[in-house]
Amino acid sequence: MNRRTFLKALGATGVTATVAGQFVINRSTGEAGAPHAAGVVRKGETWVPTVCYQCPGGCGILARVVEGKAVKLEGNPQHPINERRLCPKGQSALQILYNPDRLQHPLRRAGARGEGRWQEITWEEAMAEVISRLKTIRDQGEPHTVAIMHGRLRGEMEGLIHRFLEAYGSPNDISSASLGRQTAKVAHLLTQGIEDLMAYDLENANYLLSFGGSLLEAGGPPMRVVGAYGQIRRGRPNRAKIVTVDPRFSITAAKSDEWVPIVPGTDAALALGLANAIIQMGAYDKDFVANYTFGFEDWTDEGGQKHKGFKTLVLEEYPAKKVSEITGVPVANISRLAAEFATNKPALAINPDRGALHASLGGSYTGAAIHSLNALVGNLDRPGGVMVQRYPLCVPWPDTQMDETARKGLRQPRIDGAGSKRFPLANSIYQTVARNSWEGNPYPLRALLLYYTNPVFSSPQGQEFVAAFQKMDFIVDFSPFFSDSNQYADLILPDHTFFERYENDLPPAGTGYPVVGLRQPVVEPLYNTRHTGDVLLQVAQGLGGGVAGSFPWKNFVEILQFRLSKLGVSWEELRKTGVWAKPLYPFTSPTDSRWHSVVGTDRRYAPKDGRFDFYMRELKGLFEKKGITEADLAGMNISARGDLVYLPHYEAPHRTGDATEYPLLLNTYKLMTHAEGKGGNVPGLQEMLGLHVGVKWQTWAEINPQTAHKLGIKEGDMVWVESPQGRIKVRAKLYAGARPDMVNIPFEQGHAAGGRWAQSRGANPNTIIPSVTEALAGSAAFTSFGVKVYRA
Amino acid sequence: MEQLTGIDEERYLEPVKKVGRGFYITVAFLLSIIAWGAFAWYTQFQTGLGITGLNRPVFWGFYITNFVFFIGISHAGTLVSAILRLTQAGWRRPITRVAEAITVFTLPVGAMNVLFDVGRPDRILNIILHPQGRSPLIWDIGSISMYLTASVIYLYLPLIPDIALCRDRIGGWRQELYRILALGWRGTEAQKKRLKMGIGIMAVVVIPIAVSVHTVVSWIFGMTTRAGWHSTIFGPYFVVGAIFSGIAAAILAMAVVRKVFHMEHTLKPRHFDYMGLLLLVLTAAYIYFTFAEYLTVYYGYGGSATEGSLLTALFTGEFALTFWVMVVFGFFVPGIILAFPQGRSIRGTVIASVLIVFFMWVKRFIIVVPSLSRQFLPYPTGFYQATWVEWSLTAASFAVFVLLYVVFSRMFPIVSVWELKEGEEEAREKAEEAAKMLAPAGAPRQSRASEVLG
Amino acid sequence: MTRWGMVIDLDKCVACQGCTAACRAENNVPFQGPEGTAQGRAMFWNEVIPVVEGEYPDVKARFFPRPCMHCERPPCVFVCPVGATYQDEDGVVRQNYSRCIGCRFCTVACPYGVRYFNWFKPNFPEPMVAYTNPDPEVPVRPKGIVEKCVFCIQRINKAKEKAAAEGRELKDGDIAPACVQTCTGRARYFGDLDNPDSTVSRLVKSTRAFRLLEELGTHPKVYYLMEG
Repeated sequence: MNRRTFLKALGATGVTATVAGQFVINRSTGEAGAPHAAGVVRKGETWVPTVCYQCPGGCGILARVVEGKAVKLEGNPQHPINERRLCPKGQSALQILYNPDRLQHPLRRAGARGEGRWQEITWEEAMAEVISRLKTIRDQGEPHTVAIMHGRLRGEMEGLIHRFLEAYGSPNDISSASLGRQTAKVAHLLTQGIEDLMAYDLENANYLLSFGGSLLEAGGPPMRVVGAYGQIRRGRPNRAKIVTVDPRFSITAAKSDEWVPIVPGTDAALALGLANAIIQMGAYDKDFVANYTFGFEDWTDEGGQKHKGFKTLVLEEYPAKKVSEITGVPVANISRLAAEFATNKPALAINPDRGALHASLGGSYTGAAIHSLNALVGNLDRPGGVMVQRYPLCVPWPDTQMDETARKGLRQPRIDGAGSKRFPLANSIYQTVARNSWEGNPYPLRALLLYYTNPVFSSPQGQEFVAAFQKMDFIVDFSPFFSDSNQYADLILPDHTFFERYENDLPPAGTGYPVVGLRQPVVEPLYNTRHTGDVLLQVAQGLGGGVAGSFPWKNFVEILQFRLSKLGVSWEELRKTGVWAKPLYPFTSPTDSRWHSVVGTDRRYAPKDGRFDFYMRELKGLFEKKGITEADLAGMNISARGDLVYLPHYEAPHRTGDATEYPLLLNTYKLMTHAEGKGGNVPGLQEMLGLHVGVKWQTWAEINPQTAHKLGIKEGDMVWVESPQGRIKVRAKLYAGARPDMVNIPFEQGHAAGGRWAQSRGANPNTIIPSVTEALAGSAAFTSFGVKVYRA
Repeated sequence: MEQLTGIDEERYLEPVKKVGRGFYITVAFLLSIIAWGAFAWYTQFQTGLGITGLNRPVFWGFYITNFVFFIGISHAGTLVSAILRLTQAGWRRPITRVAEAITVFTLPVGAMNVLFDVGRPDRILNIILHPQGRSPLIWDIGSISMYLTASVIYLYLPLIPDIALCRDRIGGWRQELYRILALGWRGTEAQKKRLKMGIGIMAVVVIPIAVSVHTVVSWIFGMTTRAGWHSTIFGPYFVVGAIFSGIAAAILAMAVVRKVFHMEHTLKPRHFDYMGLLLLVLTAAYIYFTFAEYLTVYYGYGGSATEGSLLTALFTGEFALTFWVMVVFGFFVPGIILAFPQGRSIRGTVIASVLIVFFMWVKRFIIVVPSLSRQFLPYPTGFYQATWVEWSLTAASFAVFVLLYVVFSRMFPIVSVWELKEGEEEAREKAEEAAKMLAPAGAPRQSRASEVLG
Repeated sequence: MTRWGMVIDLDKCVACQGCTAACRAENNVPFQGPEGTAQGRAMFWNEVIPVVEGEYPDVKARFFPRPCMHCERPPCVFVCPVGATYQDEDGVVRQNYSRCIGCRFCTVACPYGVRYFNWFKPNFPEPMVAYTNPDPEVPVRPKGIVEKCVFCIQRINKAKEKAAAEGRELKDGDIAPACVQTCTGRARYFGDLDNPDSTVSRLVKSTRAFRLLEELGTHPKVYYLMEG
């Protein structure tokens, strides 16, 4: 399929496409043999477009509906993220809709918290209770003690929840970003001045240097990355080289041309070591670096003070030999990789959502170090380079009506410490909520609303939440299933599953160009469940006053229609196609005036001068603004001093657990078959969970065969993995792809509740991971924890 | 004629005439095992084969092992008897029926195990309604039913004069049955002539059929491409194995019959000695085949990836213990016992036979399961552990066989009375002739001749 | 003549198992649960097989998705005593679910291990049974019989029906089995090997093309394209 027919196909399917000369299409689709769309229709069946909810990828789905029952899902061929394809999570998603363990009506706790005894109540009773409880707290002048924690928050639900809390008067809108995406966003902001995940034009890159994070299994959005992988392997004349840096031999590493097994948490050192080699070779983009970056060379500020630049830092601190000692990567490989990266243009250094960035307390610096490589070779906003994600234009929300109670509440500090001096760049710190609330620091939470999130399971030391819950007055959960967390709730107000509700979905950064998908009911709701958006609107009405006034919409669909009314596509049309996209990415160049929309745009404390910051002026400005001084750095676990604080640098991982007592390092990771901790009750996914080790339906620990031999552990033995925080029993899998000094355990199992297939199966590594928070972004750190392993 | 023979017909009819408490206890015991087996089968039928230890890739286990085992054992009788008849081995006479009955009763038990093994026994008639001629299983159905038919005839023909004897000597409810089955046998010369011709023809016919049966059984395995199965040697290997285990089974049957029916006078140490010799030859042959089979695969490079993995599993892996115990105690120990004349005593041959019968079952297991547990493609290797269902049905299979045998031995003389008589007569005539020809040396020869007969 | 065949480009496959899941959903393949899976009884008409070789740090891992090979000389068809498995006129090796007696001769004869036995009654607890594919070609199988990949025969039939309704011939790309349609790396291709212009015909001529266990003489109609 050539470009013209591709565009024609898009046009024919109702997706808007504008062609302008200087625009380069970000092509990933259409090659010979890629077959047709939705399948052939037999009598009595329809195909309903909707959007997947199994991960944040936002893939388009076409659901085959026969006699009112959804029987099969296919990828929506018009959706640019997945283009007719669906991953195993999506393909198994009907097992969510028709899961026998769904909650079928509102429940009120009948026993003690966590006891698991429930009483069925009506929606009217449930609503009355929520309204009265929230009203009481608000009337008592403590609206800030109400928090909403959320996990998979998509589209307008994000705005709705934020607005609800704003009108109610609570700053505690707590996302799960600190468990995943936040570090990469901060790294992007501090260097390029864009507060978003990076989007990569993978299809046109010639060299991919991917740091950690299992790009093909858990990259963002996975279907886009995997599609691009096929494209760069065989969909074009040259077959780009892919190098994966990961302590663990992931499937991504296996599918790469080269695996660089690295000491966990030392990715920053490797990135800067590569920068060192590239600079020494003189192979960097001298024009770009000289004219469109800041802080490469040493510089003098307005006050006449001399500052160290990136080049000096890298040359002084990161010679190959030293880097090799830190990272365990041989010197020869460092210089070879550097040469390959600098000469195979366009080359991309890829920041993961997780993995490397969560491997140490210097995650934001690691992200910045990795991203610096892209600037070094000038690969910003070019074909095959880093793109800046664009979003569809939605009609702005009208101003929230805030009364005095609301204003007062909003002036309170956040419960999680995000944005404080301690975590200046965090916007949410999920994992600290439990301890802070329990300690009353700065105040105890009185009410907590949980929306598609399961902190007891998902947060390191999630058991802390159990303690915190006991001190709270009122906990409401909106999940369609029982979970580890909602066992402690007072009310469970089950939402529809995503096959029964309306919602828009903006895929995370990836395509570059704007995409919005529409989730819509493919079948009538099976049970007496309700859209949480509608529930919140009803609660707002019940609370009255400014809260009610802020929500002039009857239901969530009205909000959607309002927000999407200027999209250029009618609601009916959107329902028919399930997606709107503008599949053109407008690459710019530094000489172009639009350059300012891709570099420096989101800076608040540094000039929006279109320069990429090797020296992170945004961070410096922020520190000055917040009054963070050298004296505060120790408390933030930042070991660097002076100019180094504002330069990408390597912070040695903070190892927990004594090295002699806990000689191995624990590494946790995500699988393709892992649906964000919600796959536990999907039997189809359980049954094909660990492909590379052949383990299903349970938790395993990947141990290097030699290490296992030394420990007297044989293949398939049950072993204890113990950290100072506790121990879990898992099955030992001898895996040559595990570093001899590490143990790898995937997430997914170890649920205390959640249905017949999830419950009491395997173990959750989060229970033995200490809750450690990275300084800048507030991210939870997931690796570099000492453990010992012994036979059970 | 009576006074001419030393054969006391009554002695052989005694077990048929007098049915004691022991018989009923035995039958009750066997029936209870069979009832338990029926329950197991019902449970399996209701629940599905999932309650067995069968899995993927070990799709076949105890049932197919039993199938091959029982079909193998069946070669004891008809084939061995036919060969002995054709070679006119005089000492065969007390043995033939003991052996032939094994054939007739093991074949249905073997076939029954196929029924246990299929997922849909209710559709078993599809084999007849929709046969697919290329399938070795269909060949098997053909050859086994042919063998069963031939064996039944072959058992029946020499039984006719003895049935007539029963008819004449035993009254009661069975007389009518004997009358029908005796087909009006009066022992006339014409009848005898026809009978002998019939037996002669059957003896010839039955040999190729018997050979075909176990060849075809081997082809169930040999016709697949599986490592350890896909072997040209499998036909003869299985046939030899079948005769091997069959003779051992026949020796056991002889020993049991001798003991239970007090037939020390008829089944003499000499019979065990001769059968032991035959067994020794087959032990040697079977060791030879086994050695040839594995060496060909193993030689030089340890086989292809899958074969190598299979051999590793057998020689040093999870099946090694079973394998080596089998080789030593199933083949070499019996071989050594049987190689010495002292070892071919009744006790020696029985010990050797017990070992051989048991380990030939194990050998069939070793053929079926390890090969299945090693796939060509790198799947996880399979593991098989039989559950109570398979054990129960295996026990029930043996019980069915023993029950049929016991009942048979109480219905009909378990040794061929008329043939014994005839043999004695022949021998006497021969001895007399010889005595006439070599008058001075006559006396010792005569005693030799009767010894041969005895 | 039509000869349906498949090509799987291992260079594009990322071992995501999307094919496995799609196949299971399309063809009503029941799951077996933890105990059954531990016993190797899990059913995947289209299974991805991992091969991890070498020692740290020189590790290699290969993954190959394995549907039925639809051999031109299928051992399973030869050995089936009742003709329950057969090759249709387009070369697809199919299964007659109402004929099969469950002897499992085919499962032991198949060198690729593509055939699965229903050890129990298929497990679709209420209300999961709602999502079973209503196409008559893929009924939920009873216990005690063998089942396998049939190249999504229901989709082949539907495409034929559609082409017939539109009064045209089938064309290359009209048919996508569930695994091909969902393949995340776009690594799978389906088409007529007898049509010299089809994508699969073009791809099998590649120097990267090979088939599994070719030495057995089964002549598979599923081709793989080597990595690298």
